Amino acid sequence: MSRRVLIASFEHEQDVLKATDEVRRRGLRIIDVFTPYPVHGIDRAMGLKPSKLTWVCFVCGLVGAVGMLCFQHWANAVSWPIDIGGKPWNSLPAELPVGFEMMVLLAGFGSVFALFAVCRLFPGAKPKNLMPRATDDRFVLVLDQDAAPFDIQQLETLLADHDVVTVEEQVLD
Amino acid sequence: MKPSDQHHRARVDTPQPATSQVVELTPNEDAALVNRRRFLEAAGFAVGAAVVTGCSRVPVDHAQPYVEQPDGARPGRMRYFATTCAGCSAGCGLSVGVRDGRPLKMEGLADHPLSRGGLCAVGQAIPLELYDSHRLTGPQIDGQDATWEKVDAQIVAKLKEVNETGRAVRLVTPTVTSPTLQRMIDRLLGEYKDAKHVVFDPNSCSAILDAHEQTHGVRVLPRYQFEQADVVVSLGADFLGAWISPVEMTASWSRRRVPDKTMLYHVQIESRVSVTGSNADRRLRLCDEDQALLLSHLATRIGKLTGKLIPAVDLAVAPIDEAQLDELVQRLVNAKSRSLVLCDSNDATTQLLVNQINHLLGNYDHTIDLSRHSRQRQGSDADVYALVEELKAGKVAVLLVAGVDLTHSLPQRDTLIAAIAKVPLVVSLATHKNDFAALAGYVCPDSHALETWSDVEAVNGLVGICQPTLRPLGNTRSVLESLAAWSGKPQDSLALVKETWTEGIFKRQKTEANFQKFWDQTLITGFAEVDPLLIEPKEFDASAVKPANKTASGDGYSVALYSKVGVPDPRHAQNPWLQELPDPVTKVTWDNYVSVSPDTAEAEDLSPGDVVQLTVDEVTLELPVHVQPGQHDQVLAVALHYGCPGTDRFAGVGPQWFEGRTTVGENGRVGVNAAELLTLDEHGLRYVRGGATLKSTGKYHVLATTQQHHRIEVPKEVAPHGGLRRDVFQDTTLAEFSKDPHAGKPEVHDFGDKQLWNEDHPKDGHAWGMVIDTNRCTGCSACLIACQSENNVPVVGRDEVRRQREMHWIRIDRYYDGDGDDMTVGHQPMMCHHCDNAPCETVCPMLATVHSEEGLNQMAYNRCVGTRYCANNCPYKVRRFNWFDYPHDDTLKNLALNPDVTVRMRGVMEKCSMCIQRIQDGKIEARRLEQELTDGTIQTACQQTCPANAIMFGDLNDPESAVHAAMNDPRRYSVLEELGIRPTVGYLRQVRNTPPKENERG
Amino acid sequence: MAERANELRPTLITGDKTLGDVTREICEPMERRPNGLWWAAFGLSSSLLIVGLVAVTYQIATGIGTWGLNKTVGWGFDITNFVFWVGIGHAGTLISAVLFLFRQKWRTSVNRSAEAMTLFAVMCAGIFPLIHMGRPWLAYWMAPYPNTRGSLWINFKSPLVWDFFAISTYFLISAVFWYVGLIPDFATARDRNDGWRKRIYGLLSLGWNGSSRTWHHYETVYLLLAGLATPLVFSVHTIVSMDFATSVIPGWHTTIFPPYFVAGAIFSGLAMVLTLMLIMRKVMSMENYITVTHVESMCKLMLAMGCVVAMAYGTEFFTAFFSGNVYEQFVFKNRAMGPFYWAYWTMVSCNVLGPQLLWFKWARRNLVVVFVITIIVNIGMWFERFVIIVTSLHRDFLPSSWADYTPTTIELATLAGSFGLFFTCFLLFCRVCPVIAMAEVKGVLRIEKPSTADEPATTEERVAEEVLT
Repeated sequence: MSRRVLIASFEHEQDVLKATDEVRRRGLRIIDVFTPYPVHGIDRAMGLKPSKLTWVCFVCGLVGAVGMLCFQHWANAVSWPIDIGGKPWNSLPAELPVGFEMMVLLAGFGSVFALFAVCRLFPGAKPKNLMPRATDDRFVLVLDQDAAPFDIQQLETLLADHDVVTVEEQVLD
Repeated sequence: MKPSDQHHRARVDTPQPATSQVVELTPNEDAALVNRRRFLEAAGFAVGAAVVTGCSRVPVDHAQPYVEQPDGARPGRMRYFATTCAGCSAGCGLSVGVRDGRPLKMEGLADHPLSRGGLCAVGQAIPLELYDSHRLTGPQIDGQDATWEKVDAQIVAKLKEVNETGRAVRLVTPTVTSPTLQRMIDRLLGEYKDAKHVVFDPNSCSAILDAHEQTHGVRVLPRYQFEQADVVVSLGADFLGAWISPVEMTASWSRRRVPDKTMLYHVQIESRVSVTGSNADRRLRLCDEDQALLLSHLATRIGKLTGKLIPAVDLAVAPIDEAQLDELVQRLVNAKSRSLVLCDSNDATTQLLVNQINHLLGNYDHTIDLSRHSRQRQGSDADVYALVEELKAGKVAVLLVAGVDLTHSLPQRDTLIAAIAKVPLVVSLATHKNDFAALAGYVCPDSHALETWSDVEAVNGLVGICQPTLRPLGNTRSVLESLAAWSGKPQDSLALVKETWTEGIFKRQKTEANFQKFWDQTLITGFAEVDPLLIEPKEFDASAVKPANKTASGDGYSVALYSKVGVPDPRHAQNPWLQELPDPVTKVTWDNYVSVSPDTAEAEDLSPGDVVQLTVDEVTLELPVHVQPGQHDQVLAVALHYGCPGTDRFAGVGPQWFEGRTTVGENGRVGVNAAELLTLDEHGLRYVRGGATLKSTGKYHVLATTQQHHRIEVPKEVAPHGGLRRDVFQDTTLAEFSKDPHAGKPEVHDFGDKQLWNEDHPKDGHAWGMVIDTNRCTGCSACLIACQSENNVPVVGRDEVRRQREMHWIRIDRYYDGDGDDMTVGHQPMMCHHCDNAPCETVCPMLATVHSEEGLNQMAYNRCVGTRYCANNCPYKVRRFNWFDYPHDDTLKNLALNPDVTVRMRGVMEKCSMCIQRIQDGKIEARRLEQELTDGTIQTACQQTCPANAIMFGDLNDPESAVHAAMNDPRRYSVLEELGIRPTVGYLRQVRNTPPKENERG
Repeated sequence: MAERANELRPTLITGDKTLGDVTREICEPMERRPNGLWWAAFGLSSSLLIVGLVAVTYQIATGIGTWGLNKTVGWGFDITNFVFWVGIGHAGTLISAVLFLFRQKWRTSVNRSAEAMTLFAVMCAGIFPLIHMGRPWLAYWMAPYPNTRGSLWINFKSPLVWDFFAISTYFLISAVFWYVGLIPDFATARDRNDGWRKRIYGLLSLGWNGSSRTWHHYETVYLLLAGLATPLVFSVHTIVSMDFATSVIPGWHTTIFPPYFVAGAIFSGLAMVLTLMLIMRKVMSMENYITVTHVESMCKLMLAMGCVVAMAYGTEFFTAFFSGNVYEQFVFKNRAMGPFYWAYWTMVSCNVLGPQLLWFKWARRNLVVVFVITIIVNIGMWFERFVIIVTSLHRDFLPSSWADYTPTTIELATLAGSFGLFFTCFLLFCRVCPVIAMAEVKGVLRIEKPSTADEPATTEERVAEEVLT
């Protein structure tokens, strides 16, 4: 289905922050805000919840550490016990370094790939950015016009209060 | 010829094939061989070749199984054949390990009366001389290959003419201990009016024989009985190193080194530092030129004390300190008839004095045996001198030379060569194209001792057999056969030997009535003890003895010419194992050099490696300098038998790369020939020469030494407080030891055997361990070559040794302690200690070196990727790394490789395995025979060959084993045991029988 | 208010840049043709690289014998270079991760190139353990994979195995960290360009569009990576130090090594970062982004680390003296007065005396002085590793097996080659990647708009708050 969106671009992060906050309080549906750098407070302005990716990281890390420790124990003491310098078949202290490294490795890769998955980032992905300058020097607020209480006049004055630079309408399909 | 066949023949006398048939070594020729015997050996070689080429990455050729297995032969198993070593004239018992038709490993023949199971480095190195691709492969006429028929025809013809003209025929050989060879020589020369057999020993003891001729009326070399002696005073005689019969003498000497009341007191009075001197209880420095003077002093004083007064003369002041002299005399007299005085001088007047002293001390018939005398040196320098004169005068028509390199080993080479050019018929029976062979019109190469029959009577009454272990590899012929052919009755060596034995040897014994039985028995034991040929020494006749008063002339240095343990004579100069053998004292390989004392070096402003011009009269040599602590300041020592022709073959030995340097010197050879410094006159061959001068050339030649820091103390400038000496080598004196068996043990915290972690590696089966008695070990380095032969240790060449990359699995650490007369030397064989808590194992990422259930630290070559972490972490630094692929393209030489041991490729770490292949072999054999493995059945290569029995190896878990006992000996210590790595190699502290008053030092 | 804010937080980026300026000035170098200076540098470094390649090829074809090692000194230049480069590799992650956690905003203009440097340094480091093997073609045995030999695994008790895992993990994590940081900037580059550049940057930017929802997750992950990378940095050099610390060789067998090595690593890393920064700043005229303030803060860090290292040197000696162990005492006396005394004193004078100048503000702010000091420190830190490895090995327990060590031309060429590789990679990086993290710099520009100055402005602070709440 196609829908009409309103694209407002700002020059300063303060403006986009305030505008977003205002718009949300008025109950308009914010599709997204495109910024050249992570604007502080925009998530609160947009009302986003904290990211869950920390959990992915934790789980991967746990798997890495425990898995590697178990593997080492198995390889040293079960699969083929070999007398190395008279040391015990299985000596935990010697296994910690590798265990730790595997933890970091899996945790790191786990969370990054989770990020890519969640945000649909992959090579050759078509960037849906409605205004290329959003990656340069513009802060772009995108609103859904089909959402319930949408009064274009009110909105335009509101945006004007926040020194909007450009306002345009587009139909997305 | 196949050993299996000998055993066969030993029982039923089958006809003997002519041994001059050829066996080509290229395996693909084997198919062409038809008759059974040759097929078998072909199979043997093919198997061998296949195995070896397999190792050396040459395409593997077909291996053929036995069609009809000879009795006793088991493919892949070593069989041992008793024979006699021909490495030198000492005649040690040799047990040749033959595998699939290939003689592989030389071992000492257990309970041989002379060598007693020991064998020296030279004997151990025989395989490389057998499989030597540079040996002459057939007869030559004027440098052109010829057939034996042609050569014999021409030589016989020429001999006939000579006989008609009645001109001189001269045959030169080194000492002939073989009765058969002697018989052949006599038979040949007997046919000529003016024929003479000249015996020329490059290391001559002529003076000792001459002296005895004058004092006892018999020109023989006495046999020295060290075992009977309580006090041995040796003036320069290196009897543990390279003098006459080192293995025999080491064996009997070491049996008196047990630290108790009966311990031998051994004084060495020498100019350089010899192996013997490094093991003496008391070592005094004396310029060789002063030997006679010192002996005169001894003689007069001993005469006084023993009441047998000898005409007093006023002697110059004694060359050694009075107190020491008196102490010495006292000791000798106290040990009357249980003492022994030796001297290496080749000057008759000096030796006369020695005889007189021994006579005064009543040593004859006690420690010196004249009736069962030694036949190991028979050379007569007078004859040699006469020969040279005759040659110069052009009197000689026929010159036959066997076993010596006449022109290389005698001074004034050029005049000699000119003289030889006058001789119409010059025949050389050398095995290699040596200096003399190049002059000879006819070269009739002798076969290797392992290729032909012969016999040896090294000591009057002890006859050893030499049996071949394979056919001649080339178209060569033993000297026996050559002489037989030229005397008109061609016979093969077996027939000749048997003839000698039936007519001679057999009749000299009563025990066995049947010759065949006697012969078989001898083939099995390797020797037979028979009645000695009767000689009657006369009463001691002192008339010839006169005290010598001449002292070393002050002006110039005195040059001492000696022969090294590794290269005792030119015949071994082409043996890479021996050339790379570190000298037991100097640790230098691949070179000879002029040794100077530290003070002399300072005075002359010389540092090690400086090339100097050594000039005596008109002779000048250029040699690198080696600074030798403990050497006499007036003496320059130079080793003979270097710079031999043919050593140019070593130019390319070892790895070739753009920074690699050659192994030969500027003269294109290994070392420099010092024979020019010898003097030959009617008095004989002199190895000492005064009036030498040194001149620095500004050139520099780094000597390849395997040890760079030589003292037990660390350098003062970096020594921590109280840490100047390191306790890695421990010694004490007999006096201390008899008070406290733990004497010499350093003060260290004893951490006991506490372990950080709980033991979960029980060793309840075997637990292999080794203990080395440093009190017996003389540093002779036989073990080193034995190990090299057993474990396929490569030769790396001078440049690699210089870069500290020698591959020997055994390193004999030699530590100096003290200086001058007070210098003591410690020899400490160092190989993998197989630590129970091995540091090397922990750090290897690949599990390439791990611990066995029997306590061995094992290398898995295939798994090793060569991080060298293990070597870094080894406190003993006994691991060896394959820095390059060491050449294995000489397929003939490769036949000397042991098929039981992998040939390591480059990038792989290796080290002593305690001869794991021998351990496994012993275990398997015991299992096959369903016997318990008894202590001593498994011997490591180094232990087997040790002439001094210094190495004990066995199962530490076996309370009966010798090694178990040794481990609990109060003298036992382990190097660096404070590290808690629990080495399984122990050492027995050295106990020196030095007089108590010397004990303050150290 | 704006003024007050400025007093509180000195401006990091000078020259009143707008967002657009930042984009333009950082992206343009990637779009321009390289200048002569670049070509000169590239020519030099790539020829060094070729020299190294030839040397290594010859060495692998002929054998490790082409190095000056021997039966006593089993490691020389190889492991010295390895530890040296790993050390260099530490500053990058330190700056991006640790300073990130400590909210050091000045890092934003240096972290990108510092991380790049880390990667290249670790690449150089990684080469040496590989080629120092006797049989490098079997290096893959280092990985515990099921095989037909048993399966025969690897020796997890060996520090070399720990090393293998540590170095590879470090490389991968740093690479990911670096790439994640690059994604938004690639997007910027993509949107400025067209043609093949657009296509390539498009591919690399994974369809980034600056959506705040993405930024939201992105920052969480960035924080996590920083949190992971920080202990990783310390673990890596700790493990490298264990290669020595777990051995029995006096001079290696030391418990002080882990902190000592980490400090040394950061020390050398900072020195190398500064060296490169100062060059890049000049060559690419980025004076406004890498200001003297940046240099100064780095100098302070370097000074601190230098002092830690100096203390470690002292402690080593004291411990040896205090231990009463003659072997320990010997080794250290031998370092200072033995055959390799020159190496030891080079190390001390470069690492201890050199940095002391940085106590003075004028020195810290004088770029020439700083540049010289960084070079000195780089040299000194190389010698530190040489001293630790070679002088400990060449004279250990048994006097009989003492030996000396001289590098061969092959070894020297290999060392040169590693520098060649490093600079070649770095120069290429300068051409194809935004050398300064645009997104982050934009975040700290704080273009003031009246009445809105009190808004906390930077990514880090917000993220930090998230951590706290």
